[in-house]
Amino acid sequence: MSGLRDRLAGTLDRLVDASPLERLLISVASLVFALVLGAVLIFVSGFVATCNSPVVFIPGVGYGCYNPIEVYSTMLQGAFGSPISLGQTLQETTLLLFTGLSVAVAFRAGLFNIGTQGQMVLGALATAVTVLWLGPFVPNNAIGTIVVIPAGIAAGAVVGGFWGMIPGVMKAYADAHEVITTIMLNFIATAIAFYLVNNHVGDPSSDSVLTETIPAVAQFPAAIDGSRFSFFALGAGLLVAIGITLLYTQTVIGYELRTSGIQETAAEYSGVNAERNIVTSMTLSGALGGVAGAMYVMMAQYRWQTGIPSLGFDGIAVSILAGNNPIGIIPTSLLFGTLKSGSLAINLSLGVPTELVEVIQGLIILFIAMPEFFRLIGKRSGFGSDTPATSGGEQA
Amino acid sequence: MRRRTFLTSVGVGATSGLAGCLVNDGNGSGEADVTIGIVYSTGGLGDESFNDMANAGVEQAVSEFDIAYEDAEPEEVGDMNEMQRQFARQEDIDLVCCIGFDHQTDLEQNAAEFSDQQFMIVDSTVDADNVISYVFREHEGSFLVGQLAGMLTEIEYAHGGGESNPDESVVGFVGGRESSLIERFEAGYIAGAEHAVEGIDVQRAYAGSFNDSSTGQEIANGMYNDGADVVYHSAGNTGGGVFESAQSNGRFAIGVDDDQSISSESFSDVIVASMVKRVDNAVYESIQSVVEDSFEGGTTNDLGLEEEGVAAVIGQDFEGELPEDVTSSLEESRQQIIDGEIDVPTTTDDS
Repeated sequence: MSGLRDRLAGTLDRLVDASPLERLLISVASLVFALVLGAVLIFVSGFVATCNSPVVFIPGVGYGCYNPIEVYSTMLQGAFGSPISLGQTLQETTLLLFTGLSVAVAFRAGLFNIGTQGQMVLGALATAVTVLWLGPFVPNNAIGTIVVIPAGIAAGAVVGGFWGMIPGVMKAYADAHEVITTIMLNFIATAIAFYLVNNHVGDPSSDSVLTETIPAVAQFPAAIDGSRFSFFALGAGLLVAIGITLLYTQTVIGYELRTSGIQETAAEYSGVNAERNIVTSMTLSGALGGVAGAMYVMMAQYRWQTGIPSLGFDGIAVSILAGNNPIGIIPTSLLFGTLKSGSLAINLSLGVPTELVEVIQGLIILFIAMPEFFRLIGKRSGFGSDTPATSGGEQA
Repeated sequence: MRRRTFLTSVGVGATSGLAGCLVNDGNGSGEADVTIGIVYSTGGLGDESFNDMANAGVEQAVSEFDIAYEDAEPEEVGDMNEMQRQFARQEDIDLVCCIGFDHQTDLEQNAAEFSDQQFMIVDSTVDADNVISYVFREHEGSFLVGQLAGMLTEIEYAHGGGESNPDESVVGFVGGRESSLIERFEAGYIAGAEHAVEGIDVQRAYAGSFNDSSTGQEIANGMYNDGADVVYHSAGNTGGGVFESAQSNGRFAIGVDDDQSISSESFSDVIVASMVKRVDNAVYESIQSVVEDSFEGGTTNDLGLEEEGVAAVIGQDFEGELPEDVTSSLEESRQQIIDGEIDVPTTTDDS
């Protein structure tokens, strides 16, 4: 028994002490394992499914419908195979970057913001309404774009920030747990947006619940013909990621925001207004969620419509997978973006059911996340050579 | 032991694959003359109604022509745009079928951007040279089932799993999400019920979703408790709850889109009729026009009772079991609607 225990402890020590290069290698190895296991799953489930054009016949077993190699190559093609698919991947990446950062900002301050989705939905609506209103007043050229797009982003940030502030206030002054309040506020946000668009700001000529299409000046200029992706949006996301890193590592405000969430009493003791800082963290988090909504409207959808994809919830996974490190969110959002556009290609061109594709996605995420997860646990429980036990799950 | 057998068979599979037993590349496209791309609406396949009907249409075309198809199921309305575009872009795809009115705005933009691609849309119209639109006069079919409901609640009738209560004249309608489309079902149903019994009490409610059968059940329970004998739903998957409720209350229900006494067979003892909407025919016809090179973009096909785009179909357990005067007056109204003697409203007055 104790031998096993020692071995486990040794593994955890090893994991916690791993260098960045080793961690990268572990992640790549995990990815390979996930792909191999996924391939077996795809292949085996092909024998349960029925299809018109089976891939392989095994005497005694039957017809196999799916070819794992084809599934993976389609996924890769769908994500990077052409400039257009690359654009689609980067579009998803950009949106996930913002929602991931939104979650990370709150997480860093010890707050679990599940409400990014709702903040994004309302921010997106604010953006759509603002640019639709502003559109006719500006010239239909680059100057108009320079005015309208920042205005749209600002509108999204303000409304998203306000929606994030509400659970912040409830947490700081009424001790209402933010996990509960943000989840509930998601429903309220969706319902408010639905009501407003259905009854007041929507396009009454349509059967669907949507606003009119935003004017061309408010649409991000497409970097790649035929896809809706803009380097400006991605660049903005990268700058925000760097900015947040600097905020938390280099500034006093960042330090205060963090301590207020993680150790409220300790922060109060050292003269920091913890309540105000909790509200600030949640507002900042909500504002980033709102910006994600603004990007969605102005870069991807060109209008607000019910049924906005669950980018906000995906942002939680993106952030956690990156250990809530703003710079780490850049590669994890790219991973999620790749999976998303790649699985769309499978959905479209192969007869593989979407559920199976989701299982593969889940496997990849699970496998990559697990070593980091154990590393985090190991670090918290004091394994490794030089880490204090109370580091609060923070990572370099 | 079982595990070993399994592993061996996988091993055999791998080798037999290498030995050239690959059947084909599994994709199907590129071999057929015509390839269709089809994007469903958010209810997805397996809804036993709208999307499954569209799928039946494309499957029928596959069995009759030398065509292949690729399909996509959007999880959210927000996914539809990219799916349309991915199909529209592919040169080997000859027709992109867009199922459901939520596609309309995206299709307006994409039809203009991909002007060489041919599209079709169901339940909405897009005015472009490369799009055929199919809309249905659901109010006409709904009128007939409304009339049937009205007549049934007046008489004493028991068959299958339900019976009517002749003391009260109440019928119900459960809608999915409020929109002018669903309002057409509602308006036709009310008019039909009024046609049968003047001053009839038609209870109406919306579940707010096409995918919420528990709310559907709650609403229908309320209606049956208030004395409704028949409840008609136009609510996709939500309607499953209406059927549950009908069965547990021993009353009748009316299905929609598909003959639901067949597609939801476990409820066939209470599904007295269905307002069938031939989405499958629309999909099939549009594919046929592409195969036969007679695709006429810019046209709108408005399908009603006359074109057999909609119909009131008696449930399989009730066929020949309804009173003679009920079926004959339904047939009479059908002819009167076709001849224009009955004008069926498309909107309810109170909205």
